[in-house]
Amino acid sequence: MTKIEKIIEDAGAFDCVECGKCTSLCPVAKLNPNFAPRLIVVKAQAGMESEVKSDKDIWSCVTCEICNDMCPYKVNFSGFIQRMRAEAIEMGNSPLCSEAGAIHTMQRLTGKGQKQNRLVWLTNDLRVKEKGDVYFFTGCSYQLGILFKDRAAELKKVPASVVKILNAAGIEPVVSNDEVCCGHDLIWSGNEAVFKDLMKKNVEMIRATGAKTVVFSCAEGFRTFSLDYQDFLGDLGFEVKHISEYLLDLIEQGKLDFKESNVKVTYHDSCRLGRHMGIYDEPRELLKAMNVELVEMPSIREKALCCGVNAFANCSEVSRKMQLDRLLEAKGVNAGVMLTFCPKCLIHYNCLLSMEKKPVELENVELVVGDFSNFIAEQLKGATEKTSVGHENVGQVGNVSNSEAENMKGGE
Amino acid sequence: MAETMSSVLVIGGGIAGIQASLDLADKGVIVHLVEKEPSIGGRMAQLDKTFPTNDCSICILAPKMADCFGHPNINVWTMSEVTELEGSRGNFKAKVLKKARFVDENKCTGCGDCLEKCPTKGLTNTWEQKLTTRRAIYMPFMQAVPRVAVIDPENCKFLTEGKCGVCKKICKRDAVDYEMKDAMLEFNVGAVVVATGYDVWDPTSSTEYGYGKYPNVFTAMEYERIINAAGPTHGHIQRRSDGGEPASIAYIQCVGSRSLKTGHPYCCSVCCMHSTKESMLAREHIEGIKTTIFYKDMRACAKGFNEYVERAKKDYGVEYVNSDATVQGQTEAGNPIVSFDVGGKFQQREFDMVVLATTLVPSEKNVALAKTLGTELDEFHFFKVRDHTFEPISSTRPGVYLAGYCAGPADIPESVAMGSAAAAKAMEDLIQRKVFA
Repeated sequence: MTKIEKIIEDAGAFDCVECGKCTSLCPVAKLNPNFAPRLIVVKAQAGMESEVKSDKDIWSCVTCEICNDMCPYKVNFSGFIQRMRAEAIEMGNSPLCSEAGAIHTMQRLTGKGQKQNRLVWLTNDLRVKEKGDVYFFTGCSYQLGILFKDRAAELKKVPASVVKILNAAGIEPVVSNDEVCCGHDLIWSGNEAVFKDLMKKNVEMIRATGAKTVVFSCAEGFRTFSLDYQDFLGDLGFEVKHISEYLLDLIEQGKLDFKESNVKVTYHDSCRLGRHMGIYDEPRELLKAMNVELVEMPSIREKALCCGVNAFANCSEVSRKMQLDRLLEAKGVNAGVMLTFCPKCLIHYNCLLSMEKKPVELENVELVVGDFSNFIAEQLKGATEKTSVGHENVGQVGNVSNSEAENMKGGE
Repeated sequence: MAETMSSVLVIGGGIAGIQASLDLADKGVIVHLVEKEPSIGGRMAQLDKTFPTNDCSICILAPKMADCFGHPNINVWTMSEVTELEGSRGNFKAKVLKKARFVDENKCTGCGDCLEKCPTKGLTNTWEQKLTTRRAIYMPFMQAVPRVAVIDPENCKFLTEGKCGVCKKICKRDAVDYEMKDAMLEFNVGAVVVATGYDVWDPTSSTEYGYGKYPNVFTAMEYERIINAAGPTHGHIQRRSDGGEPASIAYIQCVGSRSLKTGHPYCCSVCCMHSTKESMLAREHIEGIKTTIFYKDMRACAKGFNEYVERAKKDYGVEYVNSDATVQGQTEAGNPIVSFDVGGKFQQREFDMVVLATTLVPSEKNVALAKTLGTELDEFHFFKVRDHTFEPISSTRPGVYLAGYCAGPADIPESVAMGSAAAAKAMEDLIQRKVFA
C-alpha cells in the first residue's frame, strides 16, 4: 500500500460514494469556485496523487469539519487534508501563512528549547502550584494577545482568568513555564516532525507534574490533545477536559457563585470545540448557570459558521466573507457580545471588525467578540468589572513582545 | 402431538398482509388479520400512484381491501395489536388486544353525518401527514375499510369531560357507543405472518435539508398526499408558505438512507423510483413545471425501472443531477435554495418547492412486537430472516413468517410476492402437520 493509499484508507475515504454532499455544505466551496471536497477525494481515489499534492487548494480547506459531520459515510475529510498537507509540503506546495509566518516560527521555536517567559501573566493574587492533580494548559493565548494587540489584546487575560475562576472554586492548578506550543497550527500546516517534538515535550512535562486532569480553555489545544496526541500516543495517562465541562461539575457542587447579570450574549461554536469535539451543550449550560441571557444565531451547533481561517495558513477574501456572514448573524439577533472559546475565532472576527475599511454592513455595528473564559471571570461574584491583568502589566508585556521578536529573528 | 390448527394469524393489514390473507383464505384457511389502525390498507393506501406503471394506488388496492374485508374466511380486527404468542409451529395461541372504537362496526354505515357535527375540530390528521385536520370523531380516510367512523378518546369531549354527545344524538343507526371497552381476544392458529411495514423517517434532525425550517420543503409522503385528488389540497400542488403553485420542484434522494450517520446505511430501495414517478406526475399536474432529481446513484434495477427513468427524461423532461443536495436557505419569496456539486463546482439553484425522499425505517413498535412474538430483529430493527438466500420469508421463530418492509426494504411488487410466499409457507405448516401427525 502506498503512503497516499494509507492516508485514504485511514480517512475512510474509500467509502466515499461521491455523492457530493460535502461540497453542497462546504463554506469554502460556496465562495471559491475551484474548491470542492468531493473532487479532491475523487482525484485521490483515482490515484491522481501528484495532482492532489500540488493543488494549491489543499490549503483552502478551513478544516471546519462540516463535511465530516454531514458525510453520510463518515469520511474523515479533515483528517485526509491534515495528512495530505504534510505530503504537499514535501512537494514544495506550501501555504501562504499569515503575518509572514511569524506565528508558525514562534510556535516552532518553543519546541527548540528557546528560553521563554511563559508565565508573565501570573500575578501575586493568583494561586498556582508546581505539582498537583489539575494542570491548566495555558496555551498561546497570551502570546497571541501580544502579537495581535491591535485587535485581540483581550487574549492576554485568558490564562489569568482561568486561574482566577479555578481559584474561586478552591482549586489551585498547576501551570508550567516549560509548557510548549501544543502544535495545532503545525500539524495542520503539514509540519508533523516538529509537532511530534512539541507533543512529546508537553506530555512528558505534564506527566511529571503528577496531574490527573488537564484543563483547557483553548478549543484548539483541547482538540489537539484529545485527538491528535492520542492518535500518536494512545492513552496519555491523564484526563483531558475542556473548562466548560469542568466548570459545570464545579457549579453543580456549588463551588462557584456568579453575580447578577443583564448582559445579552450569543455563543459562537468554534469548529474545534463543536464539530471536532462535540461540545455544544456545556457552554450553553454554563451561561444558564450564570444567569446570562443567551440569544442564538441562526447557524449554531453542528451547523455553526466558521471563522474562515485554519492554522493561519489560508487567510483570504474567502475568509473575510465567511467572517462577515457570522458577524451579520450576530448582528441580526441583536447580541452585544459574541463569546467563543477559540482564540483564533476571536482574532479573526475582531480582525474584520477592526478593519479601517470594513464592509458597509458592519458600519455602526456595536458588537464585541469576546473570550468565554474572560467573561466567566468577570461574572464571578466579587469580581471587578475587568479582570486584574491590566495596565500595570503593559510594560512587561511590551518587553516580552520585543524579546519574542528577537527570538524569532535569531531562531531560523 | 398437539392438534394442528387450521387458521393463520396475519399481523398488519397493508398490501403484504392483505395478499397473504387473501391467498390463505382462498385456500379455505381461516385468517385472523390484525391491524393496529382503524382501517386496513397500510402505506399503499396513502400513495398517489405506483411505479413503474403510474397506476392509481388506491384504485388498485381498494378492491383488494374490500375483498379481504368481505371474504368469508377472513376476520379483520382493526385497532388491534398482538400482546402474546404462546405455543409452537402448528399450534399457537395468540392474545390480541382490540381497542375500543366507540362506534359499532356492525351498525355504522359510514354516512358521515356525525363527522360534520362533531364540535371538536382542528385535531392533527396524521394519516394525511399532518397537512390537514380532523375532528374527534372521524373517518380514517375516504376509502377506509371498514368504512366505519372512529372516536379519538383523548380528544372526545364526552369521553374526557362527560359533556357533548352530539355524535350519538345525530347517528340515525345508534352506532355510537361511549361505553365500549377494550377487549382481549384469543385465537388458536397454526402459523403467523408478520407484515407490519415501516415508519417514515422524520428528517427534522438532519438540519442540512431545512425540513421544518423552510416551509416549502416537503417529505415525499407529504407530497404523495398533496398530489392525490382525495388529499388535503384535492390534488393541487401547493406551497406551504403561500399556497402558490410551484413552477419548479427539486427532489432530493437518499434523505436519511445510505447514511451511517443517521443509522440507516441501507438503501431504502424505492426512492429513485418514487421520485421519478413524483416528478412525472408534477408535469401532469402543472404544465411546463421544471422538475429536477438530485441523486447519489440511480438504482433503477427491477423490471421496467430503467425504461421508466428514460421515459421520465425523454417524455417528461425530468432533469437528473448526480449530486447529493442540501437546502441551506430560502429567498424572501420562500423559495428554498438548493446547494449541490456538479463536476467539482459548488452550485446553488432556487426552487419553488423541495421534496425530500425520506428513508423508510423499521417500525418503532418492532422491538416490542419481536419480544411478544419471540423473534429476533436485525441490526437495524427489521425482523431478522433465518437465511437471506434460502429462507428469506422465515423469521427466527419456526412458524412465524415475514412479508413486506418489516423484513427489510421492499417495493410493492416485492411485498406482494412476499405476502404470497409467506402464505404458502404458512399453508405448508398447516398441511404437513395434518398429514404427518
